[in-house]
Amino acid sequence: MINQMEPAPKDTEYDLYFGPAHPGSGNFGVKLKIDGEIVTSARADPGYLHRGFEKLMEYRTPIQNAVLSDRLCVLEPLNWNLVHAEAVDELMDIDVPERAKYIRVIMAELSRIQSHIIWYGAFSIGTGFDTGFKMAFGYRDYVLDLFELITGGRVYPAGYICPGGVRRDLPNGAMDKILKVLDQMDEMIKLEELENPALDARAKGVGILKVKDAIRLGATGPVLRGSGMKTDVRKEEPYEIYDRLDFEVPVRREGDAYARYIIGIEEMKQSIKIVKQALEELPEGEVIAPKFKKPKVSVKIPEGEVYVRNEVARGEAAVYMVSNGGSTPYRCKIRGPDFLHMIPVLEHLLKGAQIADVPAIYWSLNICPADMDR
Amino acid sequence: MDTKEPKLLDEIKSKFNVEGRIQRERRIWISIDKERLIELCTWLKNQRFEHLSAISVTDWVKEGIFEVTYHLWSYKDKILLTLKTKIDRKKPVIESVTTVWEESAQIHERELHELFGVKFKGNSDLSPLFLEDWHALPPFRKDFDWREYVREEHYDKEDGREVVYYD
Repeated sequence: MINQMEPAPKDTEYDLYFGPAHPGSGNFGVKLKIDGEIVTSARADPGYLHRGFEKLMEYRTPIQNAVLSDRLCVLEPLNWNLVHAEAVDELMDIDVPERAKYIRVIMAELSRIQSHIIWYGAFSIGTGFDTGFKMAFGYRDYVLDLFELITGGRVYPAGYICPGGVRRDLPNGAMDKILKVLDQMDEMIKLEELENPALDARAKGVGILKVKDAIRLGATGPVLRGSGMKTDVRKEEPYEIYDRLDFEVPVRREGDAYARYIIGIEEMKQSIKIVKQALEELPEGEVIAPKFKKPKVSVKIPEGEVYVRNEVARGEAAVYMVSNGGSTPYRCKIRGPDFLHMIPVLEHLLKGAQIADVPAIYWSLNICPADMDR
Repeated sequence: MDTKEPKLLDEIKSKFNVEGRIQRERRIWISIDKERLIELCTWLKNQRFEHLSAISVTDWVKEGIFEVTYHLWSYKDKILLTLKTKIDRKKPVIESVTTVWEESAQIHERELHELFGVKFKGNSDLSPLFLEDWHALPPFRKDFDWREYVREEHYDKEDGREVVYYD
């Protein structure tokens, strides 16, 4: 008599740790539970880049915090400079000169372009398209050259956009150079838009985020727009000079990784349009408010509280600043878009995904651990 | 200014008997007792305040209170409404709003529980988020002395190179 075979133990389940030293993933890990090829559950493991900025800012004056605010996101420091500077401006009731507003927008949009280029590069290498990665980082250097010329720093501008305006005026010849770089960005976008069957196959229909889930999970920015919600802080709550500029908000209905990737490219086009308009209308005049013209050791911040929102490359960024009348903010809460994208949204999207799709989903969210951990 | 901000504020004031002010266009600030917080939150969610932008805690150490603030954004009306509520610093317990905003509230509360030690009753997952093996006071509290903490945890008084930190 043949003995019945014993049922095989369920040995198809295992744990996989994605990150935290994955090249390019940044300092962030996701613990995955996998059954065969399918991810059954995911748990984000943040904290590798927690520096406690909110606490650090309580001990520093606004001018020092402007420099600190660079580090809120490695990939788009100028945008974070702007959020912080606007919070201080509103709290201290400072009239920012017109020219400074234009320069702020030009720099923020250039920063958005280079951040989206990194997004494209990271997404390419995550899906096995090395050429895209190298192309992206090559073209990004043109923008970094501009940053070096204007702010003095290639990656970190050291608080170029500071409370009261910007630290210094555009140097001679900067406008022509910006226009030249924008032409190069057009070139880059043309290359990005070339049909790439390999990348399409990896991204289409992968990591679908429905708009209802996106709102519930707190998604903002390109991720939410990729799910079909037309929303942009620059349009809904115009800050600086965005109400005077003509640009569109790209939206896709599909909600998959491919849709988010296309949104990135479309937004670069819009940013180029914005920079060109701002350069055309750039007025003459001062670039910093009189109060901050001479560097002061300490400036009293009037008592009060503000909540300032901005659209950074990754989504909604906000600073909640409370002052009790001292020279440092009493409390400075920083709301980064990736705090929501990398924990609830990522966990939601990875559940039920194929193991091979994990990088495509991960990179399609335009991830930056720095503003999640803060 | 549009008329929608005063209209909304009046409606909230008459329904919930709370204090509030309009700071500027698209900014409303409301103070509410912690007992009535969930009731107001549920009502606001039904008024299309779907996006919970952030939750924050301010530590007013001299007054002995924690101020919990909820920053809500309405995609429909384009208004940012901030709810402020006060809790006792010695007994920092507050009802969780995960019943209203679900996952996005859950993660904000988890962060604040770790950094301020505020307990959110009803939140199913308040496990540590950023810090590893943390046994000291929650670090974002005003009375947490980080200089002292670093000296005790990371420096050695006997080490000649580090003795300067003890002067």
